[in-house]
Amino acid sequence: MVKKLLAAGMLGLGLLGLGGLAQQRTVEIEFWTYYLSPNFDNYIKGVIADFEKANPSVKVKWVDKQDTLERDLTAAIALGKAPDVVNLWQDSTFAAAQNGLLTPLTELTTQAALESAYYPNVLSIFTVDGKPYGFPWYGWVDQGVMMYNPELLAKAGVDPNAIKTTDDLLAASEKIKKATGAYGWLPPVKDPNGASFLGRFFLEGLSIYDAQGKANFNSAAHVALLQKYVDLMKADVIPQELLRKEAFQLTNELYSQGKVAIMIGGPQSLNRVKESNPELYKKTKVVAAPLGAAKVQTGGAMDLVIPKASTKKREAALFASFMTNRANQVKFANVVPIVSTARGSESDPNLRPKDPNDPIEVAKGMVSGSGRFINPGFKPPKNTDDIFKNFNDNIEAAFLGRKSAKQALDDAVAFWNANAK
Amino acid sequence: MYVKRRALTSTLIAYAFLAPALVLMGLFTFYPVIYGAYLGFTDYTIADLAAKEPPRWVGFANFAQVLGDPLFQTGVWNSLKYLLVVPVLQVASLAVAVLVNQKLPLMGLFRTSYYVPVVTSIALAAVMWDWIFQKDGFLNWSLRLLHLINWEGRFSWLLNEHTALWAIMLVTFWRGLGYYMVLYLAGLQSIPAELEEAAVLDGANAWQRFWRITVPLMKPTILLCSLLSTIAAIRVLEEILVFTGGSGGPLNSTYTALLYVYNKSWGNMLDANFGIAGAAGLLIALVGFALSYLNFYLTREERGGRS
Repeated sequence: MVKKLLAAGMLGLGLLGLGGLAQQRTVEIEFWTYYLSPNFDNYIKGVIADFEKANPSVKVKWVDKQDTLERDLTAAIALGKAPDVVNLWQDSTFAAAQNGLLTPLTELTTQAALESAYYPNVLSIFTVDGKPYGFPWYGWVDQGVMMYNPELLAKAGVDPNAIKTTDDLLAASEKIKKATGAYGWLPPVKDPNGASFLGRFFLEGLSIYDAQGKANFNSAAHVALLQKYVDLMKADVIPQELLRKEAFQLTNELYSQGKVAIMIGGPQSLNRVKESNPELYKKTKVVAAPLGAAKVQTGGAMDLVIPKASTKKREAALFASFMTNRANQVKFANVVPIVSTARGSESDPNLRPKDPNDPIEVAKGMVSGSGRFINPGFKPPKNTDDIFKNFNDNIEAAFLGRKSAKQALDDAVAFWNANAK
Repeated sequence: MYVKRRALTSTLIAYAFLAPALVLMGLFTFYPVIYGAYLGFTDYTIADLAAKEPPRWVGFANFAQVLGDPLFQTGVWNSLKYLLVVPVLQVASLAVAVLVNQKLPLMGLFRTSYYVPVVTSIALAAVMWDWIFQKDGFLNWSLRLLHLINWEGRFSWLLNEHTALWAIMLVTFWRGLGYYMVLYLAGLQSIPAELEEAAVLDGANAWQRFWRITVPLMKPTILLCSLLSTIAAIRVLEEILVFTGGSGGPLNSTYTALLYVYNKSWGNMLDANFGIAGAAGLLIALVGFALSYLNFYLTREERGGRS
């Protein structure tokens, strides 16, 4: 009996083995995205189908990861089952590349090919120690456009077209708060991720590093800028809740309730307003966003990376470059207002607004092709987590009045320079 | 001989029944715990994992580094402060259990209401408490109605370094009350009614009955609940993550010991340092052991004295 069972088992295994041989010509790669399912199932599945049609020897297994992406990636690599194409973003690509988890793309394609396919400014976001690690995918701009509640602005006597700089915006916020009780604009000063206040310095043309790469954001001008925001928070022109919540999230929440008058950012900010307050959405107007003294836009992008542990790197690179090519990014921009990072998108005829009366469409027309302006601002330091934590703690201490602005920045610079490995 | 064999058989059967649970626990609890403890004595980061380098033994170096890190010290101090929620929670749960153990109408409704927070997801609870603690939130509004605060000087409870930890402890209290109440209720219902009746006949008043009958008979339950609640308090993390986004702010006033471990590993996975996280985790486990022992010791001694 036992023998018979064993024999049957062997036969089964043998057949499986043969089956494997017959199918060996098709390679299956695993593709991980971040928070894209179920909202964009149709789009992603469509692109995968197009790819498989053009490359019949490659099958793509799509897995959408959410909060646990980084952990699952590490676990999969440790178990020897690494996915082949993974959706990361600036900070995670930086950390993963520095720790040797990723394949430099120049092993699979040339720098010239990458530069001709993507905006170089975006490619540089994913370049770590001189090597590119990510195929640039969908992006966003932090300034993008200015979306506002015209009733609140009218009540405060603020002319939206006169808001050209961040200083104008802050002055308008003060007026709006005084006249209506609603906040004007909520600047990111201490978002839970990253080190937002460095972005404020950068936008105003203030340095983060000196020529030797040492942090130097504690000059009198830096101190004055931080002090300005501290004073605004003390006067409740900007809410204290910004120390605890992401500005983007808080803005979305309060704008829909009519408690914030102005949103600065990409058109995706309007999606939630459209859902939670359709009336206000219809009234919302869109104009060009004001910029800081440096006259630059900041922003970021997602990318597709290939783990070093992937065993099908060639197919992975083929798929990643297909997913991120201009045609597919422009298609994506028409599904959801993202910024395409593929070179030449600014003149792509498919990125024009379809309905001039719909706020999202108008905003989309203004920003979808603005990938060439995406500027990450500055490179994160090594030992990012500890340094950003310390920076944020110091900024928080200044806002809560436990340290002077100068003391806070001096302490942050000292810690930064002592700990950036 | 026969008896011996029968004993052996029943032992084997017992092990056979235990085996599935033991195997699962071994795989998913004991092995990770032991391996995590081992990592505490090694230098092992995400870069080593990527390069397939094995952990390198470094003895107590990680422990020295962790103990010398001001952030970890702050974390331990805050976790110890968090323990203050334990006695308050236990006394309140026992009191509520005694109250809902009365045979009065609508008791089922009360029991259910106290239990609702236990089954409420933390994400949902966070939204509600967030609104309660805000500067213009429900708590400040209620305090104003009661003329307990100066409205102009009001602040957000989660953004003041003197109140944030207490505010989060209140949420833990709210979430734990129903859970421990149910455990106490089960204990209360196992007390024979005759004892109470006899005490009533002897002329004991309600307080005497509670203190002389209920409390001594409930001692095992009290020990269990205090133990569970102490361990939960020293390991608090979920509440901190949802209320502070993992920053432990304001000014690290809610930065707990386990948040340190989390931020050195899971929280920043692509930059993880498993050696440091392992060492910090082991130190917290030691504190947990010490507190558990203290719990046993205190309850045992009293019981011994009484008998």
